[in-house]
Amino acid sequence: MPEQPYEPDGAIAGTGAGGAMDLAASEAQTLERTPGGPRGTGPQGKPRSLWSDAWRDLRRNPVFIVSALFIVFLVVISLWPSLIASGNPLNCDLAKAQQGSQPGHPFGFDGQGCDVYTRTVYGARTSVSVGVLATLGVSVLGSVLGGLAGFFGGTGDSVLSRITDVFFAIPVVLGGLVLLSVVVTNTIWPVIGFMVLLGWPQISRIARGSVITAKQNDYVQAARALGASNSRLLLRHIAPNAIAPVIVVATIALGTYISLEATLSYLGVGLKPPAVSWGIDISAASAYIRNAPHMLLWPAGALAVTVLAFIMLGDAVRDALDPKLR
Amino acid sequence: MLLEVRDLHVEFRTRDGVAKAVNGVSYGVDAGETLAVLGESGSGKSVTAQAVMGILDTPPGRIAGGEILFQGQDLLKLKEEERRKVRGAGMAMIFQDALSSLNPVLSVGDQLGEMFVVHRGMSRKDARARAVELMDRVRIPGAKERVKQYPHQFSGGMRQRIMIAMALALEPALIIADEPTTALDVTVQAQVMDLLGELRREYDMGLILITHDLGVVADVADRIAVMYAGRIVEQAPVRDIYKAPAHPYTRGLLDSIPRLDQKGQELYAIRGLPPNLMDIPPGCAFNPRCPMARDVCRTDVPPLAEVAQDRASACHFWRECLHG
Amino acid sequence: MAEPILEVRGLVKHYPLTRGILFKKQVGAVKAVDGVDFTLARGETLGIVGESGCGKSTVARMLVNLERPTAGSITFKGEDISGLSGRALKAVRRNIQMVFQDPYTSLNPRMTVGDIIGEPYDIHPEVAPKGDRRARVRDLLDVVGLNPEYINRYPHQFSGGQRQRIGIARGLALRPEIIVADEPVSALDVSVQAQVINLLDRLQNEFELSYVFIAHDLSIVRHISDRVGVMYLGRIVETGRDAEIYDHPTHPYTQALLSAVPVPDPEARERRERIILAGDVPSPTSVPSGCRFRTRCWKAQERCALEVPELAVPAEFRLLPGPAAHDSACHFAEEKRVVPPEEGPRPVPPPGPTGPGTGEGPGTGDGLGTGDGLGTGDGPGTGNGPG
Repeated sequence: MPEQPYEPDGAIAGTGAGGAMDLAASEAQTLERTPGGPRGTGPQGKPRSLWSDAWRDLRRNPVFIVSALFIVFLVVISLWPSLIASGNPLNCDLAKAQQGSQPGHPFGFDGQGCDVYTRTVYGARTSVSVGVLATLGVSVLGSVLGGLAGFFGGTGDSVLSRITDVFFAIPVVLGGLVLLSVVVTNTIWPVIGFMVLLGWPQISRIARGSVITAKQNDYVQAARALGASNSRLLLRHIAPNAIAPVIVVATIALGTYISLEATLSYLGVGLKPPAVSWGIDISAASAYIRNAPHMLLWPAGALAVTVLAFIMLGDAVRDALDPKLR
Repeated sequence: MLLEVRDLHVEFRTRDGVAKAVNGVSYGVDAGETLAVLGESGSGKSVTAQAVMGILDTPPGRIAGGEILFQGQDLLKLKEEERRKVRGAGMAMIFQDALSSLNPVLSVGDQLGEMFVVHRGMSRKDARARAVELMDRVRIPGAKERVKQYPHQFSGGMRQRIMIAMALALEPALIIADEPTTALDVTVQAQVMDLLGELRREYDMGLILITHDLGVVADVADRIAVMYAGRIVEQAPVRDIYKAPAHPYTRGLLDSIPRLDQKGQELYAIRGLPPNLMDIPPGCAFNPRCPMARDVCRTDVPPLAEVAQDRASACHFWRECLHG
Repeated sequence: MAEPILEVRGLVKHYPLTRGILFKKQVGAVKAVDGVDFTLARGETLGIVGESGCGKSTVARMLVNLERPTAGSITFKGEDISGLSGRALKAVRRNIQMVFQDPYTSLNPRMTVGDIIGEPYDIHPEVAPKGDRRARVRDLLDVVGLNPEYINRYPHQFSGGQRQRIGIARGLALRPEIIVADEPVSALDVSVQAQVINLLDRLQNEFELSYVFIAHDLSIVRHISDRVGVMYLGRIVETGRDAEIYDHPTHPYTQALLSAVPVPDPEARERRERIILAGDVPSPTSVPSGCRFRTRCWKAQERCALEVPELAVPAEFRLLPGPAAHDSACHFAEEKRVVPPEEGPRPVPPPGPTGPGTGEGPGTGDGLGTGDGLGTGDGPGTGNGPG
């Protein structure tokens, strides 16, 4: 009998496999739930929450360890860049422009004769602060709006949903080009503000869905039947059970905000020289890509690795928090 | 024997250790016979069936030993591709939740017909005709009109009939039904059980009914195997087991069911909890919950001993249980 | 009848079906509950049975004020509680608590058992002074047969039966007078169901509770209920004392339902008449005219389509008092015994040492009710195992 893409037993056994898997899983889970050992001592006897379970998982996950270590390193050097870079990123010597690696200057010099190593190290500060602050703003605004809309529903929810639709329709880069081109100050705040403005609908949509799912749980109904107030329901019962997807998406989004900052700076609407940022350096280096590729390599490499680290961290966190894999 | 499971062992690797889900299960089904496998969650009844069907998730599951002989051939020795041919044509499975087992975007007729197109190389038109025929066989009224409808347009009982029709399509020699009526209402449960029994006779199939409900199988099963902690603790013809159980677990289950014909006093309850499969008690797995347990039960695993013709019990004190 | 504690009159819950996104237009209604009356006496258990979709769970949710009735009244000790809000509602909630069906979703996974059972005191601080709460939670764990040492554990460390005990402890925390139990054992393993039913039985005596017990399993409902109401498509079709309903049913739906219950006795089949109903339950959006059961009823006549049968003692039984003379909403009510008594008593469970003595073996000591076996309903504390 020839092999076929769709098999009838696939229809019975295959499509049912989900159900079968659930059964097996639930059988195994029942066991897991049973406190082990006499009088519940032993390794399972200790009280443990889902968060500590997740942490236990994460600690064993090499992807998490590598990306978390890198991110810690990144945070440290953005707080104290002088720890590993003694020079000044703005101290440039045109005479050394485009020169390659040499002792004391392992990454060489850029088009203005600035030390690429020092600039790459100092650029981390911009990237990390933009990423972290934008993510914080987006998460707070998005989860509060989305959470309230999901919890209360009704007209407010409908209006918010339409607003998020409108924001989703705005192309991010085009929006940045238009909105940020009118900004005159050269700080990270307009960039962060722009990201929060355009980013919150993403988190809001996730938070809304997650709250709607959580609020249907019987334990929320049970608390309601006890007479719990809305704020208790939201803070004690819904938020802790709805926050996981928000954390996951926010972690992954952090990486994309860092790359968005670089993109905007590259396009000349984000930060502008003399600010130090990977995006600015990439933009400057792109003119010399044939003669001095090292100028592009280091900031672009740092950017790529940083974004990747946050995305991998987000993935690892999702794996640890996803209750379906439990 | 149509199907013979011999000394099957299945383990699951979990983050907390290895769960021994099936610990040496042996059972057999003849053509035209109905075997009910009875057990609570965690007893290993579904895992055994998944191993037989070859749909066990590996990992985390692992078949740690044993044989599964189907029509004389050890399925565990077959390659995956050969195994797939056995599924569907040789044996088929019916699940508890018919709604999630049917594809919501295909009409019922298309899903039923697909099998004939794929496996028998029929034309769409012929396949559609066969689909109607199948729906008639599982007694879905107005099959001709309803063949074009989608799964959500059918009631729970009708959807379960469609699942049965699908399982029947290639006329398998064995059907495994895993809690086929648990999700259905009482009045519909009886209809679906009756239908399964009739079809089993009509096609002379072997039928394995997996259930947790002693009441449901009393009418349709020929033999019953009771499972506990991954082992068969009692196996007997259906009449014998209800009349005089030979294992304290079976007896406890029977006694703990409230009666419909009179208002009871306090219910008999098996004390304690089903065991943790990662930490199965030594000796007889049921000993911590057993009212008859003695020292030997805490040290020696009782073998499945022959109690009478065609009857076996894995209890050191089956005589007391049977006659006491 | 004893003093009524809860009276339900003309309870209706319709969910509107709307079309359109901005300008919503009602195009119909799901008639989940469509005129339900019953009375619950103090200390009594009223069982409500019916198949899925008959509206029994919606009734439960209205009783504990999780849903607002579309019409009708729920009177608790003389006060209509269906329209209350704010402080008054909160006060009433203390007295009517609910036990949920699914012990896996009814406990917050992020809270410890102590926090879950103690939450009622956080919400109603007047019930227990702060310093006293922990001790009360421990007492409650003990009362439902769990080891009080488990207070700091999380729900996922417990089995289904233990979780249901936690849910029951939470329901008891405020010392309510009424507990509404919505399928409290249907998600549990057979061997654990009996433990939980015995627990509910024992708690009823100990705390003088009145139960509304909602289930689809007729055997369990008979075991626990003093009176039973049978629901079909949003209405109670027959109601009476347990023996009246089970041994002398007069409504054809009750008869069909009873005849379909699987009984764990292969020989019973030969002695039982099975009534197989035709077709499916109609959708609650298009309820049949007249008697709502007529589309599946083998006795249906023209009158059934025209006239809604009233839930009252049918005329033919009104004059002869007896078990058949109970409320039944059928124009052609007729007594029919469908549950033959089983032959003789069930085998007596094997005698054996019970109580803490046997609990010493390895792997036990899970704190479950060892005293729930054959022994009489011992007080709290027997459930402790070899603590």
